[in-house]
Amino acid sequence: MSLRIYAIAYLIFLYAPIILLPIFAFNDATIIAFPLSGFTTDWFTELASNKSLHAAVKNSLFIALVSAITSTILGVCAARAGAMHRFRFKAGIMGFIMLPLVLPEIIVAVSLLVVVVQIFDLGLSNWTIIAAHVLICTPFCIAILNGAFQNLDPAMEEAAMDLGESRFSAFRLVTLPLVMPGIISSMLIAFTISLDEFIIAFFLSGASPTMPVYIWGLLRFPASLPVVMALGTILVALSIVLLTIAELLRRRGLARAGVKDKGGFL
Amino acid sequence: MLSKFLSSENGRGLLMVSPPFLYAMLLMAFPLIAIFLFSFWTQDFMTLDTTFTLNNYREIAEKPIYGALLQRSLFVSASVTAVTVLLAFPVAYFLSFHVRPDRKSLWLFLITIPFWTSYLIRVFLWKVILGYNGVINTGLINVGLIDEPLTFILYNVNAVIITLAHAFAPFAILPIFVALEKIDRSLLEASQDLGESKFMTFMRITLPLAMPGVVGAVLIVFIPTIGDYVTPELMGGAGGKLIANMIQTQFLALNNAPLGAALAIVAMLCVTAISLTFVLINRRWLKGRS
Amino acid sequence: MTALITLTGVNKYYADYHALREINLTINAGEFFSLLGPSGCGKTTLLRTIAGFESVSDGVVMIGGKDMADVPANLRPTNMVFQSYAIFPHLTVAENVAFGLRKSKDLDKPTKAKMVEEALTMVGLAGYGKRAAHALSGGQRQRVALARALILKPKVLLLDEPLSALDKKMREQMQVELIRLQRQVGITFILVTHDQEEALVMSDRIAVMFEGEIGQLADPETLYRRPNSRRVASFIGKMNFLDAEVNAVSEEIDVTVQGLGPLKISAEQAPEEVSVGPAVAGIRPETLGILFEGETTNRKLVDGVVDEVVYYGDMTYYDVRIDGVAQPLNIAMKNLIGRPVLDVGAKTRVIWDERSLVLLK
Repeated sequence: MSLRIYAIAYLIFLYAPIILLPIFAFNDATIIAFPLSGFTTDWFTELASNKSLHAAVKNSLFIALVSAITSTILGVCAARAGAMHRFRFKAGIMGFIMLPLVLPEIIVAVSLLVVVVQIFDLGLSNWTIIAAHVLICTPFCIAILNGAFQNLDPAMEEAAMDLGESRFSAFRLVTLPLVMPGIISSMLIAFTISLDEFIIAFFLSGASPTMPVYIWGLLRFPASLPVVMALGTILVALSIVLLTIAELLRRRGLARAGVKDKGGFL
Repeated sequence: MLSKFLSSENGRGLLMVSPPFLYAMLLMAFPLIAIFLFSFWTQDFMTLDTTFTLNNYREIAEKPIYGALLQRSLFVSASVTAVTVLLAFPVAYFLSFHVRPDRKSLWLFLITIPFWTSYLIRVFLWKVILGYNGVINTGLINVGLIDEPLTFILYNVNAVIITLAHAFAPFAILPIFVALEKIDRSLLEASQDLGESKFMTFMRITLPLAMPGVVGAVLIVFIPTIGDYVTPELMGGAGGKLIANMIQTQFLALNNAPLGAALAIVAMLCVTAISLTFVLINRRWLKGRS
Repeated sequence: MTALITLTGVNKYYADYHALREINLTINAGEFFSLLGPSGCGKTTLLRTIAGFESVSDGVVMIGGKDMADVPANLRPTNMVFQSYAIFPHLTVAENVAFGLRKSKDLDKPTKAKMVEEALTMVGLAGYGKRAAHALSGGQRQRVALARALILKPKVLLLDEPLSALDKKMREQMQVELIRLQRQVGITFILVTHDQEEALVMSDRIAVMFEGEIGQLADPETLYRRPNSRRVASFIGKMNFLDAEVNAVSEEIDVTVQGLGPLKISAEQAPEEVSVGPAVAGIRPETLGILFEGETTNRKLVDGVVDEVVYYGDMTYYDVRIDGVAQPLNIAMKNLIGRPVLDVGAKTRVIWDERSLVLLK
């Protein structure tokens, strides 16, 4: 019983900052502090007319979309190899691919910065951010897709081949539909990570900032803070929707494969 | 020969794993080697001098600021790790042992959600909570517990630790939860059958078997926290800046990338050394289980 | 009988592990053939080399007179029933059965639907087409797997431990159905199993495998009555082993068996390469007997003492010690009317007959 109380207190601790977001987003005051003064939707209207914010959002959406697709494709390769193939140095290779999961992000950022700018003398752009985001998203994709692939009976593809399909069409007709919920869930997670990532994007963004980089700029001006709250509210709502879809798909995928649910994303 | 290799089980597996492997080679291993080389060069404004030198490392060793920053960073990372893991263990235990199986994924989902939502804004909101006119201070004043706002909770190392511990909470819960889930429940019954109390069963069975998860949680929190510069920047004030802030400054503001690279290398070596030591200390708990 | 599948000098290595050793085998058209052996003996590997899922390291696999070296699994005239059945969970029963017809462009939809229904009827699942595959029971999955393979009219149907996931009753029912099905469609079945009873019941011929080699290849009766080696004899059914000494080999074989004394057996009770010297004699428990009070026999008798009694209801298994033999003889007796169950330590007489003896390598 006391454990349950503790766990609920912990959840409140986890959600404390997020609960404050909408409170201040609708608060009719420029200072982010209690007591509250009144209700307003002005900050949201202001968001709608902010051109440079729109540009940043568009940038971020593009980066997140490309990163999500690319890292999921790489994730499918790795998860499939990990779950369905035996090969030399498997543990080492898989560990190496998962390494970005524990690599401090600043190290990823500065090492790519050095390579791109100092060694190859290339300009920074959305593509440099995408390159880094794919690197850090792939381990998460693999973790999600592993669940989908490990539940798959390896005899399934063999059965399709035995019934006359080529190796590729066996994958397309049997494996792909079965892991599809995992693939979509992996894309949603990668999309969310990339959309939210700041530390690397700050180093690697070119002339046009991403949304978190733009928000970072706003955080320095007290006057713009209520707008940030409004933006944050929208982002949190969006992430929750995306994550809920991802979770529902993951569960449906498990149900489809007839497997008992064993828990969350990681 | 090649086609024979590609149709073998070994060859097919390697072919399948090669795209993510090559990607990690190209965008992780190669840049890490590059930054390592870079740390032995020097830079004067925009011109890069590629003669080998240990000057960057000498500077780091000689100027006390770097040592102090590194020490503080490691202290913060270690504190964050300790706080996170200690707070997370009971939650993971509750999830694994006291939550109905069909509710487990809902709980996990609730725990992971805050982790995925706007990091920057989350950090900033801690400022709102802990600040001079923040939620905690106004709350405590209204209740009448204090007269003056507390100042030890913002713009210092404490604030950095609280915020980071919050950010990495799910990272600590998940590996411990997975390890606890793997424990065969009949082992616990066997222990009690052999005469141990519930508490001693926890100490002699549950905890040792959960150690792989705890070690995983420690690593997955400790290593990345060293690379965070957002939280110290927003929450740390003048006395709460960490090594990552210095790396960032060297690269972006001072334009001394080689020194920044050397700092990054030193920080990474320290973290790796500490992590390896930690794994070695705990290796008896990690044996024979995967 | 025409040979359908010939394996010549087939070897398979996984790194250092020698999974198949010099397999030479001919399987005839229309035959029900079984690969029997303990787990890890290479029987599944052998089946998968025929299916095309494993390449051979050395040797030739021919099906219907054609070398299969460069023919991938999807183009071979074989179909397989997998141990896990591998029923595609995202498709309906009918879609599963029709899976292999996708490439048959010359068939129109109604024809395919008719073929599917016929195949389902054949396996006793008429009307199940619209059901979701993941909602089927184990026995139904197996029938779907059979229908899915047989609809393609393969030359060979490969069955990888198809009954191992079923309970005992279901297994016995499916054994009978598989035999009926094989006679009905008339194609070659190759069954992999570790269950000796299953192999004996179902097969025309059985290859018993040990450690990547074929230990004996014979019809079920020969395999049971005339096993060629001690390991085959002990893998299939129970057998008592007695030390023996071959004294002379002519038309008949003159042999002294420990505990039973000197006797003569026919040449077919011994391996072809039998020679004078030490050997092992085997005798099945059910070919021995106990002489109960009031019963008579004109067979040979030897005195013994009951060492152990295991009561099975319809049968009682006795371990009986006889003079000059260290290991007690295992004897299976039917519990006929009037026969008591003897106690441990009871003195008794064991009935035996040299015609049921077999000399082993």
